[in-house]
Amino acid sequence: MSPTILCDDLTVTLPGESGPVEVLAGVRLAVAKAEFVSVLGTSGSGKTTLLRALGGLLPVTSGTVHCDSTLVTGPPEGVVTVFQDYAHSLLPWRSVARNVALGIESRLDRSERDERVDEALTMVGLSDRAGEYPWRLSGGMQQRVQIARALAMRPRVLLMDEPFGALDAMTKASLQDQLQQVQELTGTTIVFVTHDVEEAVYLSDRVVVLSGSPASIGLSLDVALPRPRHQITTKERADYLELRHEVYEALGHRVPIAERSHG
Amino acid sequence: MARRVNLLGGAVFVAVLLVWELLVRTGILSFSYLPPPSDVAGGLGQLIGNGELGSALGHTLGAALAGWAIAGVLGVAAGSVLGLVRPVWTYSMASLEALRALPIVAFVPVAVLLYGFSVQTEIMVGCYAALWPILLNTISGMRTEARMVESGAVLRLSRAAVLWKIRLPAATPSIVVGLRLGLSISLVLTLVAEMVGNPAGLGFLLVEKGQALQPGQMFAAVFVVGVSGIVLNGLVLGAARLAFRGQLAASGEVA
Repeated sequence: MSPTILCDDLTVTLPGESGPVEVLAGVRLAVAKAEFVSVLGTSGSGKTTLLRALGGLLPVTSGTVHCDSTLVTGPPEGVVTVFQDYAHSLLPWRSVARNVALGIESRLDRSERDERVDEALTMVGLSDRAGEYPWRLSGGMQQRVQIARALAMRPRVLLMDEPFGALDAMTKASLQDQLQQVQELTGTTIVFVTHDVEEAVYLSDRVVVLSGSPASIGLSLDVALPRPRHQITTKERADYLELRHEVYEALGHRVPIAERSHG
Repeated sequence: MARRVNLLGGAVFVAVLLVWELLVRTGILSFSYLPPPSDVAGGLGQLIGNGELGSALGHTLGAALAGWAIAGVLGVAAGSVLGLVRPVWTYSMASLEALRALPIVAFVPVAVLLYGFSVQTEIMVGCYAALWPILLNTISGMRTEARMVESGAVLRLSRAAVLWKIRLPAATPSIVVGLRLGLSISLVLTLVAEMVGNPAGLGFLLVEKGQALQPGQMFAAVFVVGVSGIVLNGLVLGAARLAFRGQLAASGEVA
């Protein structure tokens, strides 16, 4: 079966202050249907650039991005990007429900639209806030509205750019678990950019680490932790800790020699 | 939205009027033609009674609103094009900056020369004055947050839908500010045009009563000018709140 997302020999050059900067070079990545892949990398390593290229928001310099065997040249059908800055992504003059309806309102008739909006809001646990303006909600709730807006499109692929990066630890944990449930329910393929190692290991089927400058994929690590995962028990497992250790090292962190107990 | 009457503010206003009355009556303030508030009220009564006020007010408001409405259509249309189409902005910016720097009052004699002592002069001057705030606020309103436009692209909205559903509503609070500023300046410049150009309306009434040494009526005319400015601004804001509830709520205009 061909992968849902196939990114072949991708190079992206962006204009910089002193001439063009090659951000990504020779990135190869295949994401299977319903797979949850996290992209990690140090700050400025090109994680967001990669995600924007996958989402058709950025022209590639060379190489190709395919989504379900169709070449990506603009935002593809069935692929929705969720941004970190929810406050600028939502339309402040629309109620929560009308924000969620934004992508589907001109394609569906009224009753079907209302049904989808309701379904999406229920999935993120916000059906009782449908009539509220988004800026009256907390940051975590606003991000859930943005996720609901994406889910209302019934996407095959969700591209998430540090979606929980601006949220506090408690909110983050609950949204992580909610996202797991949503994926289990919908079977959506998810590419998840984050700088949080624990989050990446906890959520993913596979973690890839961008390294080098220009960046390419330095490490691709399968995460075979059993699902459903749990914030306490999963994070206490020996294999979780081992994976976490491996990812930290791939990001350039070293264990001080004095503290090494083995290998 | 609970509205509470500002009792203290009202009391201060009444107190100021009383002090003014006393100062004039006792001769502490002794200008030859400074009327006490009671004379101003009398003057207002006379102007209303003989019908002068009604026709002057109607004339001035008609001209100011006509100029403002034309400026609204032109300003929002041109401002949208300037804000959305980069090359148009690049080519027109220098001319716009130069024109904007010229004091609008300097155009009043020019308009008189072009259109004569007619109501067209007033409308043209009011329109020109109102055009600037409307145009500039529309331009800046159209500079939509990039991420918002990108959200539209991600949800596969058409370009027309992005304009209609994202850019225009995002610009609405700015446009409303421009329209409000435009209306007050349109009223001011219409009055100026009536003072130095077309002998009609409230502006001329004011000058005429001054020259006829009727300070009570003259002050009454000033008072009416002030009140109509406040009322017009309130009407525009009220209409905008009704029509664009969400947009203005989001920008903090509606409590």
